[in-house]
Amino acid sequence: MTPPVRPRLLLIIGVLAALLALAGAAAAGNGGFGPTSPASPNAEGIATSFWFVTALVLGVFLLVESLLVVFVVRFRRRKRPRDADGPQIHGSNRLELAWTAGPVLILFAIAVFVFAKLPGIIDSPDATASGGPLRIEVVGHQFYWQFRYPNGVIAIDRMRAPAGRPVVLDVTAPDWDVNHSWWIPRLGGKIDAIPGRMNTTWFRANEPGFYEGRCAELCGAFHAKMLTGVEVLPQADFDEWLTTAFSAQHQADPALGRELWEGVCAKCHGLAAEGGYGPTLAAATLTNRDALETVIRNGRALPGRNVMPSVGRDWTAAQLQSLYAYLEAEFGSQG
Amino acid sequence: MASWLVTVDHKRIGILYLATAGLFFLLAGVLALLIRIQLARPDQSVLTGDSYNEVVTMHGTAMVFFVVVPILAGLGNFLVPLQIGARDMAFPRLNAFSYWLFAAGGIVFALSFFAQGGAARTGWTAYPPLSVLSPGNGQDLWILSLHLLTVSSLAGAINFIVTIHNMRTAGMSWMRMPLFVWAIEVYAWLLLLVLPALSAGLTLLLLERRFPGTFHFFVPEDGGSPVLYQHVFWFFGHPEVYIMILPAMGIISEILPVFSRKPAFGYKAIALSTVAIGCFSMIVWAHHMFTVGLSNYLNAWFMVVSMVIAVPTGMKIFNWLATLWRGNLSLDTPMWFAIGFLSIFTVGGLSGIYLAAFPIDWQVHDTYFVVAHFHYVLFGGSLFAIIGGLFYWWPKMFGRFLSERLGKLTFALLFVGFNVTFFPQHMLGLLGMPRRIYTYSEGGLWQAYNMVSTVGSFLMGVGVLVFMLAIARSRTGRRAGNDPWLGDTLEWYTTSPPPPHNFDTVPYVTSARPLSDLRRSLKERSAL
Ligand SMILES: [Cu+2]
Ligand SMILES: [Cu+2]
Repeated sequence: MTPPVRPRLLLIIGVLAALLALAGAAAAGNGGFGPTSPASPNAEGIATSFWFVTALVLGVFLLVESLLVVFVVRFRRRKRPRDADGPQIHGSNRLELAWTAGPVLILFAIAVFVFAKLPGIIDSPDATASGGPLRIEVVGHQFYWQFRYPNGVIAIDRMRAPAGRPVVLDVTAPDWDVNHSWWIPRLGGKIDAIPGRMNTTWFRANEPGFYEGRCAELCGAFHAKMLTGVEVLPQADFDEWLTTAFSAQHQADPALGRELWEGVCAKCHGLAAEGGYGPTLAAATLTNRDALETVIRNGRALPGRNVMPSVGRDWTAAQLQSLYAYLEAEFGSQG
Repeated sequence: MASWLVTVDHKRIGILYLATAGLFFLLAGVLALLIRIQLARPDQSVLTGDSYNEVVTMHGTAMVFFVVVPILAGLGNFLVPLQIGARDMAFPRLNAFSYWLFAAGGIVFALSFFAQGGAARTGWTAYPPLSVLSPGNGQDLWILSLHLLTVSSLAGAINFIVTIHNMRTAGMSWMRMPLFVWAIEVYAWLLLLVLPALSAGLTLLLLERRFPGTFHFFVPEDGGSPVLYQHVFWFFGHPEVYIMILPAMGIISEILPVFSRKPAFGYKAIALSTVAIGCFSMIVWAHHMFTVGLSNYLNAWFMVVSMVIAVPTGMKIFNWLATLWRGNLSLDTPMWFAIGFLSIFTVGGLSGIYLAAFPIDWQVHDTYFVVAHFHYVLFGGSLFAIIGGLFYWWPKMFGRFLSERLGKLTFALLFVGFNVTFFPQHMLGLLGMPRRIYTYSEGGLWQAYNMVSTVGSFLMGVGVLVFMLAIARSRTGRRAGNDPWLGDTLEWYTTSPPPPHNFDTVPYVTSARPLSDLRRSLKERSAL
């Protein structure tokens, strides 16, 4: 076998394998080789930028790795003595210039592309026929997400939003809480929820459906359980949900109470109050409104163990009433 | 034995650093395996949320502060005086002081597992408000251990700088300095410039934790800013990445020419790009903060300067490739690790471009994509270079070789295991898996990639065991002469191991490769 044949063969095999793997991945719905199917213009802008960078990066990757393989195969010692010197080349200004200019051009292209895509990613589209953008306040708490709609309706962990209409999110965390990060991968990039700071982001979901998301910034023991999601409804269904919730949440609303129990309390205390990370809660405790309010508003430091955060320091009276109503219906009869 | 406790010999201190950091490497490695066991399948409960957070925090902190940085300090200690033809470091007792402070910090760090409330559990970045509100004393001990460590590293950095500036042997001008020494020079300057920022940030954190009514730096209830901490931390944190990678690149720049029988291609370009990377590394920190909601003008600035760093980095990679070109490559273990470094570090460098482009970072930030990226840089990069360096300099340190057979096996296991562990993590991140979550419920691809990653991590575990076996066997390994690899630099001029005073005489240095000059003139003389 003549020496130059094998490296070329190796190179060809390597390139083919890489292309095959990529084609396979693309066929299988990308399998994590790119951002998961974007469903909002900002997510699409990010995904396009991603693929643009990938095209260039893949080229550099193949160049470097194949040169490496070829050189190692081609210039390995074989029968030469260990001390046989190679040609004493100290460098080349022309080559230095080439591999400075090459990366500069590639990076320049990436920067230009990303900046061109930027407005489509950061600017929410203007009002459409279906009305102006909907503004929702998103507040990250240990360990739940609270959403507040313009008419005061509150939802926990599961956001409802209309399809086809821009939704602007004001994302923050209470002053006494910790950092979180709002992230629905298919509806755009993430934005941190930071105490004392108001950030905004937006999305416009093209299709109704459920879009999963998670808290992306370490926020304590239940960081992994800060799941969330956006349920995108047709505009009419969304309007109906919002008005129904509005009238229900004016008084004690067991439906909201249930959301609060499941999203806020049960992650630590268990769905049936059986205990878990937090202690078991007796029915008597769960129906004692005064004691409940104190603990929900102020949290609790358990000596030698963990601190219960003041999960509901900023809850409205209606929120508390809703929780009481749910708890009394659920646990009251046992007591 | 007792003589090791009171030693001020740079070579012994270097070996003490390496041994201590080696223990921490094993500890941090076990923690990593715990993480991979917990995440191997959905909904496991090997660890709880709290204990997982402790494990993640201690793994990251240990690998950065108690493994990679001190190993480099150890190699630097052993090699810098030898490579510049000096008798010792400029301040031998300060040198011993650095090591013992590091050891004290390490003891505080290891014992913090037994603190009231357990070890620190807010990530190696310790972002407030979480790190201020986190109960127990683990976080306080974590801060104390890093305070000890920063003082140790500062003293060490000053020592390196003074040594390199003043104690180079006759004829060794800056442009004749070994590339590893160049890297340690920049490493030391970076430590000196950015560690005080870390110390200051940690001091503020400690004050706010212990005197919550009095100090309000980071918790917004009384006017503090959580973002301020992030600026301070990353002003230190990004250069820290280069503190960990530049000396590793220095090692590569030593190994490649020797095992290719060629001079380093573009010596000047490699040396100056090290300096350029060091300078630029101090103005890119907010690329870790693209999701904080800074102004997009700031984001754009930090994106562009982060990309600029890719240019000198790429330059190095191409210069190394050109060093291989037309060489006479001896594929011994150090060379395999250098080749592994080149192939893996390239991936880590390229995935960094996604993170620098801030809109893309909004998608991949704080996910397993980032975890994959920095392991490609720090494990496949720094640690591969370090292990290669250990195989290369072991004969000089102890007068005996590490087994070539076990060395190649170590390399094969680590190289395959590394890629199997970390490559799928890119995909996990893009699928939506955030970092630092202790469990997940998703099946399908999440489960598959996580399982693959866990299998790979155990392959690496076996690789580390084989490496330890090689170390254990080296007590009776093949004996090495002064210059077993036909090296270029002055450490190969003296005996293996070198005598306490290092050199009886040092040849006058006329190029960056004094030993190859010497060999050539000997050959010419014998030809006459
Ligand atoms: Cu969170
Ligand atoms: Cu950085």
